[in-house]
Amino acid sequence: MADFAGYEMPLWYPAGPKEEHLAVLTKVGVFDTCHMAVILISGSGALDLLQRCFTKDLERCIGKRNAPMSPGKCTYGAFLDDRGEVIDDSIIGQLGPDLYMAVVNAGMGGDVSSHLKQNRNGRVVEIIDLTDQVGKIDVQGMMAAPVVQKLMANPDHVFDRLPYFSFKGHFDPKSECADAVRLRDGTPILLSRTGYTGEFGFEIFVASDHTVELWQEIIEAGETSGIQPCGLAARDSLRAGAVLPLSHQDIGSWPFINHPWPFALPYNTERTGFTKDFIGKSALEQVTSPEYTYAFAGYDVRKVPVHEGNPVVLDLAGHEIGVILTCVSDMSIGRHNNKIYSVLSPDKPEGFIPLGLSCGFIKIRRPLAPGDIVLLKNGKREIKGEIVQDIRPDRTARAPLNVMLQA
Amino acid sequence: MKSIEELDLPEDYRYADDHEWAKLDGDKVRVGLDDYAQDQLGEIVYVELPQVGAVFQKGDVFGMVESVKAVSDCYMPVGGEVVAVNSALEDSPQLINQSPYDDGWMIDVKPADIAEMDTLYTREGILEKLKEGGEQ
Repeated sequence: MADFAGYEMPLWYPAGPKEEHLAVLTKVGVFDTCHMAVILISGSGALDLLQRCFTKDLERCIGKRNAPMSPGKCTYGAFLDDRGEVIDDSIIGQLGPDLYMAVVNAGMGGDVSSHLKQNRNGRVVEIIDLTDQVGKIDVQGMMAAPVVQKLMANPDHVFDRLPYFSFKGHFDPKSECADAVRLRDGTPILLSRTGYTGEFGFEIFVASDHTVELWQEIIEAGETSGIQPCGLAARDSLRAGAVLPLSHQDIGSWPFINHPWPFALPYNTERTGFTKDFIGKSALEQVTSPEYTYAFAGYDVRKVPVHEGNPVVLDLAGHEIGVILTCVSDMSIGRHNNKIYSVLSPDKPEGFIPLGLSCGFIKIRRPLAPGDIVLLKNGKREIKGEIVQDIRPDRTARAPLNVMLQA
Repeated sequence: MKSIEELDLPEDYRYADDHEWAKLDGDKVRVGLDDYAQDQLGEIVYVELPQVGAVFQKGDVFGMVESVKAVSDCYMPVGGEVVAVNSALEDSPQLINQSPYDDGWMIDVKPADIAEMDTLYTREGILEKLKEGGEQ
């Protein structure tokens, strides 16, 4: 068990983190994510306040055609301060007209709510921090659809048109949306096609007093699929391999720019500027000594722990050029002829056994290009890392639900 | 994590401060990590072992084990020459978790001074140290 922002959470369950990580790719994993906080933002000024405080342009954030946000859709971005630094990242979903929900990280419900309240400036908006009042369980992996299907009273209706980054239902029995998704015992849930693994799956939001029951129902429903409870270690290696940042580690108290997540900023099509004004915008436009965050992949499973020694990044000439933000081992991938394959890669070499690769994020004082090699070092060891645009190939997060239902 | 009562610390092994074990087997000493060490590290994913023929003093770093959580040095419980290494750990590092005292052994040492075995803890000694240190 580990203390995670005040929540006592398992690093792993008895199966161990490697088994848990692999279970999400090949079977299904279940994650207790009740530490995350939900904030409701409602009122005629809600959209305008979010446009001011959130990095995504909610008027043009959905799909390739840049459609505006609409009920049932969600989008990823960050809340920044005046310096352009990250208060927290978040997925925001629209529940209804003038009603939004922001899902933020452990312990951040209060900080983000205060930030929103401080910037209300006369707008008609109500901000409710639901920290610890909403339970959240993630069901992620290859078999997530048939498992979640078994939980629901009305699965056909729910699964009809539920693409990636959309949701249905509500965790509040009093909501008008509560009828959209109900468990077999009638409990309303909010079911979202989102997650933090890079793999196909759902996040389920439920009233906190029903959380334990839901967990047990999921474990039962997943028994024939080999469902595996997963701890923080597997969550960390899955998300790193999927090039997803950990708030306050990969993004944090430095300007939220020059990183692998430009889709979280409101760039115009030409990437020459932003399409809206927001808190932190002018700071991002005026960064004087830029730093660049990159994903890297190592050459074997060995990693350089970031919480030990003095972890630094060197160029091949041995000059210190930056810091390591995340370095973990994704145990489902390996290199063959210098190309990375996953256990799910359709073109993986015959007899492929993943030996694991170290991977994560580094923050560097000068721009690098994909393919560049750096050295990651702490007191104990030095490893080579390649700057990459993607880490674990052939991820399933965006796979169509009807296809995954046949898994 | 296991509680102290749950730890498997066999009687016929000797234990070092950093939770390596040593077991006399004829004229050589077999070395590995004890149940406490493997439990604290979590699932081990990589093991670095020395070359056969390497000579170390008691307390020298002879290898490294890497778990999902950490990278840890392994220290010689007694000084001497490495006469064998457990090459099965290359492909199956998790043997240290699964069988810390048998299949998960790390190296065999020809001890320079067999009396160094007497400087190590017995089962009772290491248990007492764990309880005093509040390491659990």
